[in-house]
Amino acid sequence: MKRSKVAIVLGIVCFILTIAICVQMKTIQDAEKEVGKTYSGNDKLRDEVLSVRENYNNVLKELEKAESELNQIRSQAVANNEGNAEKEEQIKQINELLGYTDVKGSGVIIKLDDNRDVAQDEVLNISDFIVHDGDLRAIVNELFNIGADAISINGQRIVSATGIICDGNIIRVNGEMIGVPITIKAIGFPEVLYYQMIRTGGYLEVLKNAGVIVEIEQSNEITINKYTGVYLHDYIN
Amino acid sequence: MKGKTTMTVIIGLICVVLVSVMFMQFKTISRIDITALENMQEKDLRNEINTSKTKYEDKVKELEDINLKIAEFNENADNNRKISELLTNELDQLKALAGLKSVSGSGVVVRLEDRQNSKVYANNLLELVNELKLAGAEAISINGERIVYDSYISDVGGEFITINGERIVSPYEVKAIGNPTYLESGLSKKQYGYIDKQKIEYNITVTLERKNNITINEYTGDLNFKSARSINS
Repeated sequence: MKRSKVAIVLGIVCFILTIAICVQMKTIQDAEKEVGKTYSGNDKLRDEVLSVRENYNNVLKELEKAESELNQIRSQAVANNEGNAEKEEQIKQINELLGYTDVKGSGVIIKLDDNRDVAQDEVLNISDFIVHDGDLRAIVNELFNIGADAISINGQRIVSATGIICDGNIIRVNGEMIGVPITIKAIGFPEVLYYQMIRTGGYLEVLKNAGVIVEIEQSNEITINKYTGVYLHDYIN
Repeated sequence: MKGKTTMTVIIGLICVVLVSVMFMQFKTISRIDITALENMQEKDLRNEINTSKTKYEDKVKELEDINLKIAEFNENADNNRKISELLTNELDQLKALAGLKSVSGSGVVVRLEDRQNSKVYANNLLELVNELKLAGAEAISINGERIVYDSYISDVGGEFITINGERIVSPYEVKAIGNPTYLESGLSKKQYGYIDKQKIEYNITVTLERKNNITINEYTGDLNFKSARSINS
């Protein structure tokens, strides 16, 4: 009597386990059908991304060669004419202002990071602890206001055509993806930049008080890379 | 008695095997979830291809421009007057991009105005400038002040706004030269676009008008590096 009871219980347990396994097997089959198809498609997409990037890098190299060739030819062409030499000098100067050269100097380096030590359920608004695109725009605006000559965000040079935008969970500067930690380099008079940026009521203080991790330091050796994007000029005359 | 023990052991073994199989399956499922995540990146991949292609095409165009200039210099190497002309053209083009020369073309004119209970602040204009740049604006001015690379817009004591250090007051007229269709649609996205956002969040009325012949004056301030130095490559 007792023995048959045990056997029945065990039988039921086995039955349930077997059914569970069958259900799982079916789930996996379905999932693989679905994923497998698009997954190999993504491989193609990945290959395409790589080949487009390679093309881009190749044309970038060619462009660099052509640019130095143009500079050389221009220098030769103006060698025997003073008025032309002056124009060449102006061309160089405006190219600098357009961000077409690497620049160096002293200034400040600002570092921003999301505050990951706060848990979502501990605070009223987790968004306050994260760096947003609007924060970067405000800081760039402030830096130029206090006399910065050149600025970059994670290596992206800020020029007159630069847009800063939030694209889902990431920020794009000059169309390139930017992630935290964010490093903003600015060339200018270091003390002016530093003390103006940390002033009471300044944007860095606002950010810090909101909960974002903010660091700023003066530096005598800052290098800012040139702009690698283009200026549209299809509509201006 | 002996048969009972044997049976229990066998059944126990079966249970162990079944449970192990189940765990193995659980693991497989969680692995598939990860590949499903990669599956979600398809949209990002397509985005990446599109942006890279645009960047590539832009650079190819730039390369063609430069090669054309090289050819022109080579052809006219002995002709000082022609060289001078070429240099003037190049200089004019660069000045137009940098904001040091007045330019004209088609684009949009956006107007913002203070109302009794809602003021336009520097940030409203800063956002607008950013949106216009993203929509492909090639030149921008606000109340006649040309936007250059180091332009800034700020509130002064809640009383007025300065741009490039110059005072401006409401109504604000923002001119932008560029593809009028892109500029207009860039600002007019429903609900989340710039114009709707100003209405909903700030109670500011924004009007936009396409125009075929907009003139934007040159920057009148001093545009020079004060301490930065170019590294000659």
